[in-house]
Amino acid sequence: MKVLFYTGKGGVGKSTMAAATAFQLSKNNSVLITSLDPAHNLGDIFGVTLKDKKAKFARNLFLSEVDLQKRSREYLEREVDVLTRTYSYLHALNLDNYFNVLKYSPGIEEYALLTCIEETVRNETDFDYLIFDTPPTGLTLRFLALPRVTTTWIERLMQIRRQILEKRYTIQKIRGAPKEGGNNPEIKLKYDEGDDDVLNRLKALDENYQSLNRVLQGEDCSVILVFNPDLLALRESERLIEGLRDLGLPLHLLIDNKVTDDNLDTAGQVEKSLVRYFGQDIPVKRVALAANIACQLGRCLYDIPEDLVSVL
Amino acid sequence: MGEEEKKMSFFKAFKQILGDFSAGRRESVIALTCKEVQELENIFSLLLLGAFVGFPAPPTFLAVELLPYMEREMRVLHYRADTSGDMLAELCGILGID
Repeated sequence: MKVLFYTGKGGVGKSTMAAATAFQLSKNNSVLITSLDPAHNLGDIFGVTLKDKKAKFARNLFLSEVDLQKRSREYLEREVDVLTRTYSYLHALNLDNYFNVLKYSPGIEEYALLTCIEETVRNETDFDYLIFDTPPTGLTLRFLALPRVTTTWIERLMQIRRQILEKRYTIQKIRGAPKEGGNNPEIKLKYDEGDDDVLNRLKALDENYQSLNRVLQGEDCSVILVFNPDLLALRESERLIEGLRDLGLPLHLLIDNKVTDDNLDTAGQVEKSLVRYFGQDIPVKRVALAANIACQLGRCLYDIPEDLVSVL
Repeated sequence: MGEEEKKMSFFKAFKQILGDFSAGRRESVIALTCKEVQELENIFSLLLLGAFVGFPAPPTFLAVELLPYMEREMRVLHYRADTSGDMLAELCGILGID
């Protein structure tokens, strides 16, 4: 199973390129294309209405648009569920109200996005290709960085937690077994690694993120950068290349979209300077802008003449 | 009280005194470790729940994810906020300075 991420500046044609690739790939492989962009276009491109669930478009081609709000809500509901189960005496409190506020706290959306990628990669193993159409640069880099940032945090927290447990163990050993009927709260504290719920949860989270990191940085994952022949797209693409390099994510293909006869020179220059910026050999694919695209409303946007598959 | 019984109660009392003495010694040995645990628990709670008091926090979802198991930590945080008025006196207490 291969995982492809389409990234780039807003409006350069990430979704269209992802859709076109998915369509071309689906002739010989089974493909699932998922849109992670909060402003979804995938349904528009294929001319269908999509819900959060995956929908069959052709024999080998499945589409889905992630409903971020729904995902964050589900995630918080799950937490409320665990909370109420752990603290049964909290039933009287109206926790839902508290969590309604949490919905707007920073990080929850990125987390929902990440969970979604993780779930898709974990569950949809039947497909030959998983294609992700990502939101514009800023958000993409932020959520792709999440697993690394988070594992750093988790490692730190686990370290402190282990120290606490070790010290509790020492105290317990020196103090000796608790007397019957003693009501010292310290005595009831857990000091065994396996008993500590917090540490166990941290371990489970760590395992999740490590496996996601392995997938993202592994052989079967590629990032494809889409850009247009203009200065702004060039600058933002450079930043994206830099960000991907920092995160250790593999960039495998550049797509220069919306090339016309008029901007052919600029296209060449932009491509050259991006390849130079990347510093290694990387295939570049040019996609022409169909000049009369606006007039042909009935035309399939995903069916483009350029071959986007052979270079993958 | 017979001679035998007197002897027994004397041994019992002696044993009790020895036991208490050793418990006291043990407590004084672990006093610093106890303090360390307290501090570590403080740090742990502050790192995770610091957002509530204006510290830079880890990704929010991490705090939310662990929240169900953090009851004691929340209590600790509250308790420390109440009792950490006189840090110097506390420090002197631990180090045994009168």
